[in-house]
Amino acid sequence: MSARAGVLVAFILLLAGCAAVEQAVPPMAASAPAPAAPPSARPAPAAPASGPTREVLPNGVVLIVQEHRASEVVALQLWMRVGGRDEAPDELGLSHYLEHMLFKGTPTRPPGSIDMLIEGLGGQSNAYTTYDFTHYDLVLPAARLRAGVDLLADIAVNASFDQGEMDAERKVVLEEMRLTEDNPDRFMTRRLFELAYEPHPYGRTILGTPELIRGLTRERLGGYYRKMYVPRHMTLVIVGAVTPAEARRAALATFGRLPAAPATRAAAAGLKPLDRGRGVDVDRPEQQAFLGLAWRTAPTNERDVYAVDLLTYILGDSPSSRLNQTVRERERLVFAIEANYGAWEKAGVVTVNARLDPANLDRAEASIVGVIRRVRDEGVTEAERQRAIVTAEASYAFDIETAEGLAKTYGQAETTWTLDNELAYLARLRETTAAEIQAVARRYFGDANYARVRFVPRGAAR
Amino acid sequence: MSRRVRVLTGLVAVTLALAVAAPAGAQSLTRERLDNGLVVLVRENPLAPVVAISLMIEMGTRWETPETAGISNFVHAVMVKGTTRRGGGELAEAVAALGGKISAAGDVDYSEIKASALARFWRELLGFTAELALTPALLAQEVDNERDWLLSRVQKRRDNPGDRTFDELFAALYGAHPYALPILGTPRSLARIDHAAIVAHYRAFYRPERMKLAVSGQVKAAEVVAEARRLFGAMPAAGGVAGASVPPPVATPHRIVVEQPAQQAQILVGALAPRLTDPDHAAVKVLATVLGGGMAGRLFAELRDKQALAYTANAFYDAVREPGALILYLGTAPENAARTEAALGKEIERVRTQPVTSDELNRAKSYLLGNYAMDRRTNARLAWYLTLYEIEGVGQGFPDGYRRAVEAVTPEDILRVARTYLGTLTTVVLQPR
Repeated sequence: MSARAGVLVAFILLLAGCAAVEQAVPPMAASAPAPAAPPSARPAPAAPASGPTREVLPNGVVLIVQEHRASEVVALQLWMRVGGRDEAPDELGLSHYLEHMLFKGTPTRPPGSIDMLIEGLGGQSNAYTTYDFTHYDLVLPAARLRAGVDLLADIAVNASFDQGEMDAERKVVLEEMRLTEDNPDRFMTRRLFELAYEPHPYGRTILGTPELIRGLTRERLGGYYRKMYVPRHMTLVIVGAVTPAEARRAALATFGRLPAAPATRAAAAGLKPLDRGRGVDVDRPEQQAFLGLAWRTAPTNERDVYAVDLLTYILGDSPSSRLNQTVRERERLVFAIEANYGAWEKAGVVTVNARLDPANLDRAEASIVGVIRRVRDEGVTEAERQRAIVTAEASYAFDIETAEGLAKTYGQAETTWTLDNELAYLARLRETTAAEIQAVARRYFGDANYARVRFVPRGAAR
Repeated sequence: MSRRVRVLTGLVAVTLALAVAAPAGAQSLTRERLDNGLVVLVRENPLAPVVAISLMIEMGTRWETPETAGISNFVHAVMVKGTTRRGGGELAEAVAALGGKISAAGDVDYSEIKASALARFWRELLGFTAELALTPALLAQEVDNERDWLLSRVQKRRDNPGDRTFDELFAALYGAHPYALPILGTPRSLARIDHAAIVAHYRAFYRPERMKLAVSGQVKAAEVVAEARRLFGAMPAAGGVAGASVPPPVATPHRIVVEQPAQQAQILVGALAPRLTDPDHAAVKVLATVLGGGMAGRLFAELRDKQALAYTANAFYDAVREPGALILYLGTAPENAARTEAALGKEIERVRTQPVTSDELNRAKSYLLGNYAMDRRTNARLAWYLTLYEIEGVGQGFPDGYRRAVEAVTPEDILRVARTYLGTLTTVVLQPR
């Protein structure tokens, strides 16, 4: 579930992607109950006593900083307001291609040297691309703060796009497309999002098409980079065992010096719920069927996100959820089932995914729709609402454990809604009533207004 | 869970921070052996208001045969479906009300019940963990239900080109040794394991002498130990189960081609590798990292970045109690498969004949130790490592010794272990059809 980063990140990794990433962990709310430090002679550690600071540098770069001394590392994340939604129809896949190329060198950093530098410090890097943003992520020993920020600022504006590297990476990206197709969970998420969002820009491929990628030139990619990678599209998040002053100094000396330029992002339209269903069946080599249903719901900036989030949890986030208890445990129609809420800046979807015997496809779908209908008709219980809220609280608490988890939440909030919303999130969830949860079920979820993707074993009779 | 998942999380999972000191607050460790033999470990970690529990049992594939393959995992799948006091749905709701999660699964050297929740509910969470472990209902109906689910997962693994290739490799590499068996079992073994077998297996293995409990989080050790004693101390000591005595696997060269519908070809090259307690363990860890750890590892840098032959390029070495496996893994386009396999062969030859440079060696050590430090930051991972080191019999001093051993590895060591362990190779190629 979740408009919040945590769960969405896990989801994004199904959708987008680049290097190997695991781990989806988010942050803490200012409103989370302050953990009472146990009496102890040990130095009092980490739990973020104060929240993040947010500052807009004169050239438009947003800087978010928080000291976090859970371990001697610093998480450095660059969030670009550049993603699949910004691409013209003949530019599909460029945001993602850029994300691959940025680690391939700059005039002062030869190909290969960037990974060597990061890993030689015992560090980690990662990156991924989505509809709304492109994310670059370093975790380094805290003492290497400046080297890390230097690196991010360098690749943000000085990438070389060496022709040889570019040609080699083309094959890698084409390979990534194949890899996606071999993984039914990942492929389902992509197909379902595409179908649910069409014809909105969110309903297009993030990797691009093989034809576009084969024909992509340096000039074209470089042009897109120079147009989109401007300071006003950048958010730098620094969380770790560094003081806010140190972090700010490093940011000002690097990102702060980038020449200002106007923002170039075009406005994206919003989306209304589907007025009728749409469906696609895909023949697949697997022996099992996969069913994906998606309802268009609230984007991040609407008040409904809190109720939709709780509803998604109640429907399908845990073994105790309604879908799991009804469709899997009681009716035994599916092997596995879950619901997720992908909330983006302009539109959200709630998805229900199941893995099942192909003979059960129709009955499972009817059962899922029936579970949701019951929420519309009868609402949810107070116990369910409470469990959903305590789960969100726990998710925040687990986020405090790592600097990068916290940084990820802040960066994503800044990029797809606002940091203030993120910080007030838990308090808003607590205020959300059972009646509001029922109301969003009525507002967005109908018996037929959803997108449906079915993966059907080749040759299976249904 | 699945072996591949385990291998991947072991190596890929998180990362970082080389000589980085351990978390500021995560220092205090209490270890106590109850009178009945059950070991309790508590890591007081005040960093975040959460708690994680790992209860490991010496029970896994290592004690299975082709006829019983998957039974350890099967027992745990049924276990979470309810206790003598409450059904599965009620239990799931009770755990969710703590902001918690609880799950159980088998592995090769152990089975694990793991749980996490908000720290203020640690007592309730530990109570549910004990309830599951000590009084599972193990109903016949749930055995049938979960068998269907497990069979569906076996099928899913078989349908997945990467998983399938890993399973074929383990089978070929380990031959008659039980590490050859899939953790989930096989359709044949699962069909044969009945309710009586599940109950009998549970009773044979759930003995205090085989159980290790770790709790990490914002808790007080004395309180946790007292509660653990109250919950688990009444289990009667039952004596261990005779250790499985199976002959060690014998390395023989194999090349296996599997055909399956897929977009990508998968190439796996594996070799038997030292066990966790072997003096060569650290050197082989560094070797695996030189070859395929991170994006500056040779497979990624050479085969992906320079030659663009593969998208996925990794090496895994997951040391266990008996001989481990060093595995090199590439995913590539079908038309590149032959060239990629040849290029991989060249990399293996190179590392067996030419010493690594000091830059490469230092990068590998930093990356490896950085990963290791990074992976030991969350309470869930801290709890897992605590119980794992008990299960594997290496003790809680292992991390320090391991770090020193990695730092001491020389280019000559790498050459030597590459020659020793990368001589007899098992190759599995999944060719899309």
